[in-house]
Amino acid sequence: MWAALRSRSSSSPFSSLHPWKQGIAVPPGLNLTAFSSSSITTNKAFLSLQEIQTVLNDVRADDVKVLSVPNTHADWADYVVLATGRSTWHVKNIAQALIYKAKQKQKGVDRKVLPSVEGQEEGKWIVIDSGKIIVHALDEKAREYYNLESLWTTETSQKDPNPELEKAFVKIRPKNNSKKPVRKVA
Amino acid sequence: MRTVLKVVDNSGAKKVMCIQALKGKKGARLGDTIVASVKEAHPNGKVKKGKVVYGVVVRAAMQRGRCDGSEVKFDDNAVVLVDKQGQPIGTRVFGPVPHELRKKKHVKILTLAEHIA
Repeated sequence: MWAALRSRSSSSPFSSLHPWKQGIAVPPGLNLTAFSSSSITTNKAFLSLQEIQTVLNDVRADDVKVLSVPNTHADWADYVVLATGRSTWHVKNIAQALIYKAKQKQKGVDRKVLPSVEGQEEGKWIVIDSGKIIVHALDEKAREYYNLESLWTTETSQKDPNPELEKAFVKIRPKNNSKKPVRKVA
Repeated sequence: MRTVLKVVDNSGAKKVMCIQALKGKKGARLGDTIVASVKEAHPNGKVKKGKVVYGVVVRAAMQRGRCDGSEVKFDDNAVVLVDKQGQPIGTRVFGPVPHELRKKKHVKILTLAEHIA
């Protein structure tokens, strides 16, 4: 049960670059071709690792961890930053601070691209997706519940082959229950 | 409506039946949220049989077009249970999940997933 990808021959300009994989929050009315050309160059909306770390220090987030992404997730993100907030209000504040930083970085640009935020109303787990870097702001209970560090640190070490995938490509000989003797193919 | 989907996280449920697609008149597709009723569950899990839950469709047998012209389809229909705010109830997601979830703002499910198609 793996995905069957059927791609038609596409001569589109962004065939080498997958815009959705990079998580650009494309506004619905925007022309995709025009957007992809600007995304190849460094987009101002994407916060760099240094900036995120300074912001998190200012907000006094606890237990900030930066993980580089394991192989399975490698093509849609480069770094994952985990931060803990002491309360739901603190977690929301971390998110607000990062968005504010992105807004400040883009002063003067007429069309601002903000990093997409999930989970804003409930301050339990907020994900800020800014292209290559994904920031997870959790509160303490959520952090130990979801246990994201064990998910990613063990993933880099173990890469065991999927047994289902191996079985899928093996040709299985049907059992011969007939009384006729098996003809040996010369 | 009445589609039985497999649950691919460790929330305790095994099969749910869709009772409503939240967006769209023609039904929910890959990446949409549905309301479902738990039909089969593990004995000690976070959700019990008969509970009404929300879920996000992560694998669908119906092909979904991508913006570069290719289409994705899977062998089965699978769902990840979430609560009303969109937080996943389970802590791990099994099997491949497609990229479409990122656009639909389900990055949390993508982070918990083990393989991204």
